[in-house]
Amino acid sequence: MDSQEDLKRCPVDFDHESRTHASNWPTEFRELRGKCPVAWTEKHGGYWVATRYQDVVAMAQDDATFSSFKTFDPHSGEVTGGITIPATPIPRGLPVESDRPDWNMFRTYLNRRFAPKAAEARRAKVRKYADSLLNRVIETGEIDLVNEFTGPVPAMTTMELMGLPLEEWREFADPLHEMVFTPKEAPEYPHVIAGVQWIFKRCIETFHQRKTEPLGDDLLSYFAHEKIDGRAVTEEEMLSFCNNIITGGVDTTTALTTHALVYLNEHPEDYRRLQEEPKLLPVAREEFVRFFTPIHGLARNVSRDVEMDGAKMEKGDRVYLAWSAANRDPEVFTDPETVDIARFPNRHIAFGAGMHRCIGSFMARVMFEEMMHVVMVRIPDYRTHPDRARRYTSVGTINGWVDMPTSFTPGPKIETGLVL
Amino acid sequence: MKVVILDERCVGHGMCRLACPEMFELSDEDGHAYVTSETVPPDLEAAVDQAVRGCPEQAIVVEA
Repeated sequence: MDSQEDLKRCPVDFDHESRTHASNWPTEFRELRGKCPVAWTEKHGGYWVATRYQDVVAMAQDDATFSSFKTFDPHSGEVTGGITIPATPIPRGLPVESDRPDWNMFRTYLNRRFAPKAAEARRAKVRKYADSLLNRVIETGEIDLVNEFTGPVPAMTTMELMGLPLEEWREFADPLHEMVFTPKEAPEYPHVIAGVQWIFKRCIETFHQRKTEPLGDDLLSYFAHEKIDGRAVTEEEMLSFCNNIITGGVDTTTALTTHALVYLNEHPEDYRRLQEEPKLLPVAREEFVRFFTPIHGLARNVSRDVEMDGAKMEKGDRVYLAWSAANRDPEVFTDPETVDIARFPNRHIAFGAGMHRCIGSFMARVMFEEMMHVVMVRIPDYRTHPDRARRYTSVGTINGWVDMPTSFTPGPKIETGLVL
Repeated sequence: MKVVILDERCVGHGMCRLACPEMFELSDEDGHAYVTSETVPPDLEAAVDQAVRGCPEQAIVVEA
């Protein structure tokens, strides 16, 4: 064995993108946390996997050692760094794939638009989208919860936030969902990617259109008019912002809400409790976020030799911070493999930790609450059918559902001012 | 009891506000938390303690 190999302590056969991991991840993570909390796998060019809460938080907080910076050369397709394993040959997301000091500039520029007050201001619109989507099917008693509700609500909310035309919601929602679960080798993959590229093309067109119009309330108008660091936002930066907002905000909230509704259908005592104590919903929400952790983990790039929990990490190594594993660490959570809708305090890190922590979490919380409210009030006897649904075959990107056939007692449409 | 938030650690998880909305507000600028008062009334001490234990960044410090 050469010295290089010696340094990679705790070699394991692990791939967070594999089907084995998707079907067996709680067990795999439990074993890793106990035996090899910072383990080395040779998959995807080699990377470390961190599964203990304490280690994951420490690395996420040490942003100088554990870099998120990404480069992408569109001509050669060469990628360095970034927060995904394997690296994706697309331009970086911003602010998430930057380091200090640039990160300060990008994050400060966006923060106000995603702060709690900004998220609350959108609550009525989220309710309107949820009610209008339910109107489409409420008289039939059948809904594909994912493709007709928990997918489109975040998609439409994000479109409205960006300033994209709502009537294109289907063209927007479908590719963003399909991109997450369609394997790269599938025959329909090029079609899915073309759909995603179309969304970014719409962002570019709207961004340039907004430059010819007075400053409006939407984000593309903000990018077109509001200077960053005393200069105009470039088209490249605008696309990187859109990349981060769209991929971070849409299918994640879809997965969370779908999981929660399936769980509550399977645990009627918890469902009854939430109906009787609606004030418990924010506490339950955080427990669903912990337990289902829609974004299972993200990567960092080691910028100097460092030892972490016994593992000798070298400059240039990559490390996968498994939020989902940390969120089930028994050192931090009592009975971590069980949902307790009243668990509190709950210091989960499903939105990440350290400075890159999810900028859209307040928006996600509003969307989740509104979707749950609309279901619990308008189709309270809903029955999800996970036996007829498909899980994502990989949890490498998002832990979610492809679809979710759901039935309920038909009810009346309500007036929302929006016909879809 | 006194409570302070370490600004360099807080990144806006917002769990403190869920624990004790009377003592913790979230900024309209960046969602980071700030305290409404450094002095914790005795009837809110238990809730503030929950906020301390619920903060993933360990950004809340209390002094007796």
